[in-house]
Formats: sequence, structure tokens, C-alpha cells
Amino acid sequence: MTRTVRALLALALLLTLTACSGGGGDTVTIYSGRSASLVGPLLERFAEQTGISVDVRYGESAELALLIDQEGDRSPADVFYSQSPGATGFLAGDGRLAALEASTLDHVDERFRNADGQWVGVSGRQRVLVYNTDLMDEADLPGSVFDVVEEPWAGQVAIAPNNGSFQDFITAVIASEGEDTAVQLLADLAATEAPTYANNSAIVEAVSRGEVAMGLVNHYYAFRFLDEDPDLPIANHLFPGDDVGAMLIPSSVSVVQGSDQTDGARQLVEFLLSEESQRYFAEETFEYPLADEVPAVATIPPLSGLDVPVIDIDELGDGLEHTVELIRDSGLSG
Amino acid sequence: MLAAGFAAPLVFLVVQASGFGQPFTDAMTDPDNLAPLGRSLLLASSVAVAASVLGTASAWVVTRTDLPLARMWAVLLALPLVLPSYIGAFTLQAALSRGGLTDSLIGLSLPEVRGFWAAFAIMSLLTYPYVYLLVAARLRQLPSNLEESARLLGHRPATIFRRVVLPQVVPAILAGALLVFLYAVSDFGLPQLLRYDTLTRVIFSNLLDRPVSTALALQLGMLALLIATGERAAVGRLASAPSRTAAKGRSGLRWPLRRWRVPSLVAVAGLTTAALVGPMTVLVYWSVRGIVNGSTRPSSPIADPGQLLAPVLGSATGGILAALAATVVVLPVAFLTARHRGRTADGANALVVAGFAMPGLIIALSLAFFTLRAPGFVAGLYQTLPLLVIAYVVHFGAQSLRAAQVAVAAVPSSVIDVSRTMGVSRTRRLLRVELPMMAPSLLAGAGLVLLSALKELPATLLLSPPGFRTLATDVWAATTDAFWAEASIVSLVLVALSAVLTWLLVLRRADALS
Repeated sequence: MTRTVRALLALALLLTLTACSGGGGDTVTIYSGRSASLVGPLLERFAEQTGISVDVRYGESAELALLIDQEGDRSPADVFYSQSPGATGFLAGDGRLAALEASTLDHVDERFRNADGQWVGVSGRQRVLVYNTDLMDEADLPGSVFDVVEEPWAGQVAIAPNNGSFQDFITAVIASEGEDTAVQLLADLAATEAPTYANNSAIVEAVSRGEVAMGLVNHYYAFRFLDEDPDLPIANHLFPGDDVGAMLIPSSVSVVQGSDQTDGARQLVEFLLSEESQRYFAEETFEYPLADEVPAVATIPPLSGLDVPVIDIDELGDGLEHTVELIRDSGLSG
Repeated sequence: MLAAGFAAPLVFLVVQASGFGQPFTDAMTDPDNLAPLGRSLLLASSVAVAASVLGTASAWVVTRTDLPLARMWAVLLALPLVLPSYIGAFTLQAALSRGGLTDSLIGLSLPEVRGFWAAFAIMSLLTYPYVYLLVAARLRQLPSNLEESARLLGHRPATIFRRVVLPQVVPAILAGALLVFLYAVSDFGLPQLLRYDTLTRVIFSNLLDRPVSTALALQLGMLALLIATGERAAVGRLASAPSRTAAKGRSGLRWPLRRWRVPSLVAVAGLTTAALVGPMTVLVYWSVRGIVNGSTRPSSPIADPGQLLAPVLGSATGGILAALAATVVVLPVAFLTARHRGRTADGANALVVAGFAMPGLIIALSLAFFTLRAPGFVAGLYQTLPLLVIAYVVHFGAQSLRAAQVAVAAVPSSVIDVSRTMGVSRTRRLLRVELPMMAPSLLAGAGLVLLSALKELPATLLLSPPGFRTLATDVWAATTDAFWAEASIVSLVLVALSAVLTWLLVLRRADALS
């Protein structure tokens, strides 16, 4: 064989050895649907403070949930940290999650935790209408999320029908306004040809370019975009507090059933709800802290003063499959 | 037997499906679910045709005409292969849409970059190199005497191309087109960003509705098996043509382009601009914008370029191991399929090829399912580097299989006969006679696997060892949170690493392929 092949073999062997080192001991394994840039620094702090080492597997929440489901009893995962209760509900339905302790659950308002203790909310993203400030005046924006299918806004509001947070929103509509209203909304969105995008980022990007005037997204994307380029002509518009369009979607954390690191896993959940972590979410990721009373940063209104609609968030976990089905049947294709 | 590993995803889907009962049957027979299948077929076959035309035409122009700077174009034309489809699609979309880069610079934009036409155009631009590489290599190998005779007889270039050149490169075109087709069928990133509802995209939108996603994934698997069998039948019929017997000869004629010189140059330059320079420009623009504004977070490669070391090492490790393993694993299948015909060979070939059509996520889930239900030693492989490499091999083995089949066929039977008469043992013959002759082709095939593994995302996320990072996972992480500058910088590093490795392994050895 050639020298190149031999050199490559040697390199590969060396890299294998370095890549395989580490592991063992008391290690809490987290499957995280939240990305490294959002929660990585926080998980490092946890490891430093407690001496418990942490392995994190980052991925899409739904894909990680499917993986835990396939892994069954032998899942390496101790903690599942999901973008929203949707993917968590899938696992809870299959009995793959362990109940959290009451003292842990009590950190968080009842609205943002599971009644059976299967998950607890950590931080919140609010649904908003992002709009292009060159194309729209704040005064001319719709007053309710249901107005986006009415004139003059119809067809000008972008959505991401395949995205988890849009699905959560539709589940919330079903829970608060009834299935007929949700089906009607989806049908109207399809009939008025609402522009569809792959995800929240793509919507905000298109709005910032002026390709579309408005879009239904989570609140913090506009902050991220403005952080990268402060001149972008975008802003968030909040629907009034009694409107389901202003709902808060919690990220959620659970302990996996059959974990052999239950203590470490529970400590980690506690840590995520501690004042330090909650402050981190408020200051670093522009999210709403959900535990106790930690104020959000000045740019976003504090949760206590925030008039969010009361929605049974548990529905987000239970109703996801049905929601996906309704979106599929509506003919909306993203 | 080795091919059995490649059956894991399909067996997994069947096992899952059998537990779902009625909802699965409903999803499988629901006529509404046939529409995405139709769209996948439409997109993949039209992309395969367009990529074949682009790839064959550009290969002919750089190898057979007096195009200025032909050597430079020969390299540039192959490079779009290093762009992951999600990066290519995202950058071109952002560049060409209303208010995008071309709009703000020269006031030029498209009404909407989405749907079938956008997916078709961009996917064709990113995949034609599969055909280009195979056809260019074939053209370089073809002896030119037939073409010369035809020219002496007074035939026009177009006639000679159609009657003499084309029949000899058809197997190479078909092999490339099959890879393009499978790539297009299995890709998720591009249809997702451009919002064209292919089968893969619908599978991902319905992931947690498992009867539906399993039914659709099975449809995809069956489609792949059908295509693989069909292609083998087609190639089998063509293999009897004299093309494979041609020895490497003096490279062919160079036609003077004359009045076609400028149009050809414009066409080749336009193709490389659209497929390579365009996306790269957007990446550079976003990187510079981000560096000028500075980054707000400490772990960003803008603040700390050392952050790039771990993902570069991870990508290189995974990619190189996958390339080596794929080459070794598919070699027996290549021997079987190139020297024997029959059901076993056809079946093995189809299974390996089907692996390329399955989404990486399905491959990862199936390996998780089987590994963890196996006895201790095998279960211990779960989420280690070897298992990740196995996933890459199952997913991308089809590419090295193509190269290996060519390599096996290239060993003249006379050489085998001579060594057999001289009493050389089978192993010794393989090591000392056959492998050295096959090495260039095998390396080129390994290069294709390496490139694909570098771009791979879903299986890497689910199966890699804890803490393992690759450039692709870092790009994904940065884009999900809209850290554009960071995503662009890591993408550029990914493209650079891929380009260096493509140069070393594929382009320098492209002659050996086909």
C-alpha cells in the first residue's frame, strides 16, 4: 500500500485513541435539545460547583426523544432537556420519564410544570409577531393572533408550520379555544397563502430583508439578530395578554426513567432552577426565567408583570401528535 | 454476510412497523402520502438528469477542447461537492432573495427562492460534480483513435460526441446519476430550507407520529431498492459494450472551440460562480461582518480561534476512519458484484446502495436499537467512535462501492490467470497483485465517502462519543441560534478542510475512477 495510506492509518489510530479517552465515574448524561451556545456554559458551571462531571449530547429535541425511546432501559441518558414540552410529552406517554420531587416542582409556577411531575419548565420564550420596521408601523399591526388571516394582514405574516414552536402554539389554540378554532385558523392560513418558512430563524431573516413584512416567531430571535447587526429593521410586537398568540413556551427538563445517576440528575434539575441559572437565562439568552422571582433583563418585561394567557401547558405534551396531524391535514406545507 | 449490516435500517423499520398495526397500514395506504413520494421522485430524477447534462458537458469541455485555463477549471468544477447542501441552499437563498446580498449590491433579486424550481436548480448545482468527476476521468482514459478516425471521415464534433464519445461514457454518467439521485432522495436540509415537500421532509415533520414517519421511511427504502436494482440491470446491459476493455491511452483530441470559445468560457465560469463562488462569497461576507462587530460570547471562534481545534480533529477522525472502513467493507461486495452475477450479488448491491438513500436519522436509530439489544460486547460499542464509523459506512458505502466495482473490473483477468498458474496463494495474489492495481480507484472512492462523512449531521449528533464535536455539528449549533458569523466561519473551515482532502484524495486520483 502507498505511504499516504499508511500515514492516514497512523493518524486515524492516534485520533481514535485521543477521542476514546475519558468517561467513567459519576457522570450525569444529558440529552439536550437546547444548543451548546445556550446552555453549555451553564452546564460547565454545574460541573465545576458540584464536582459531578457532565456529558452532554446536543441535538434536535424530537430526534433525541426518539433516540431515548429506542434505547429503552439501557439509555445512557439521565436527563432530558427539551426545547418545549412537546417532545417531552412523547417520552412521558411511553413511560420513559421519572417523576420529579415536589420540592423541585415548587420552584416554578403551576402553569409551567407538569401536573404529574414528569417535567418542569426552566425558561420561557414568548410567541410574538416580528415585523419589518421599514414596511410596517407599530400602530398598523394586528391586535390578535387570529387577525393575521384577516385583511389587510392576510398573506403577509410568515409561519413555520413544521417547527416545534408553531406546533406548540397550535396545541395551545386547541387547548384554549377548542379544536374547531384551531382547524379554522390553519385552514385560513392555508387559504390566504401565508408565506411558510423552515424555522424561526429563517422567518426573522426574511423579515429583516423585507421579503415578508411580518412573522409569527419566538421573542428572542429578534434580539439575537440585532445583537449580530444592530441596524436591521426588525422589532417584536406583543399581542395582548389574553391572546393565545402571546403564550409562553417553556423549555422543560426531566429525569429519565431507569437512570443510574438519579441523585446527580436531580441536582442538575435543581441547579437549572437556582437563582444563578435563572439569572443566566435572563441575561445571556434573552429568555424569561420561570423559577421563583428572578427578574428578566430590562429589554424584556419581567414575567410577573407580563400578561401571558393562562394555558394548560400540559396539553403541549399530550396533544402534539394530534396537532401534527391537523397541520398535515390542513394542507399547509412549510 | 457483510451486506447484512447494511440491512439494519430496513429491518429496523419493518420491526417497528409490525408493532404499530392499523395506524401504520392506514399511513402506508393513504393516497395523500403518495404525493411526497411523487415529489421526491420528481425532484431526484430531474436533478439527476440536470446534473448529468451539466457534469457531462463540463467534463467534455475541460478534457476535450482548447478551453483557456482548462486545468484550473478542471479543479474548480469539482469543488461544489464539498459544500453541504444545507449551507449551499441557505447561502444562495439569502444571496438571491429580495433584500439579499445581490439585491443590495447590484439591485438584482429573484421573486422567491423556494419550491420545486429553487430546489431543483440549487441541488443540481451542488451535485453535478458526482457526474463530472466520473465522466472526466473516463474521458481522460479513453483512447482517442476512434474519435480521430471519425474526424478524418469528416464527421462534425456534435456527431462524433453523440456517436462515438457518448456510448463510451454512458456507464460513468449512469453511475454518477445514481449517486446524485440517491443524494437528492435522502437529503433533508435543502428541501427543508427551500420548502419543497419531499418524502424526507415529511418524515422529519412527522417524526413523533411514528406510524406515519415509519411508513414514509419504508416507502423511501423501497424506492431505493427499486432504483438500485434497476440501475444494476441497466449497467449490466451496457457492460457488454466495449467500453470497459479500453486501456488507458493517449488522451483524446482537443477540439478548437473557435467562435464557441467565449460562450464556453462564460458557461464554465457561470457554473462555478453559481455553485461555488456564490455560496463562498456569502460566507465570507457574514464572517467579516461578524468579526467587525465582534462576538458577544466567549466560546465563539471569533473570540478564540482555538475553539476550532476540537471540531477539526473530530471531523478529520470520523471522516478518515469512515473512508478507510467503507473501502475495506465494500471490497468483498465489489468482488462479488463485479465478478459474479446472480441474486446474491444483486441483493448485496441493492442493500449497500439503499443505505445512501436512507436519512441519517433512521440509520442512527436503527443502530441504536440493534446495538443496545445485543450482548454485552456489542452493546458496549454504543455511542463510541467505532459505531459512528459503522453508521457512516452504512450510509455512504454506496459511493466507495461504485469506485471499488470499477477497480475490481479494471484488474485484467489475464493477470489473475498468470498468478494462479504460478501457484501464488489467494491472499498473496490479493495483497501483492490485485490491491496495488486497484489502489488509485479505491482511494478515490474513499475520498467520496470522506467528504460525505464530513458533511453528515443527524447520525453524528445521535451516535458520536460523548463530547465529540465535528465542524458539521458546530455549524448546526451556530445556525440554530442564529449566530450567523460563527456559522459562516466554521462553514468556511469545513469547506477548506474538505477541499484540501478532496484535492489530496479525489482530484489527484480522479483519473483512476471510472
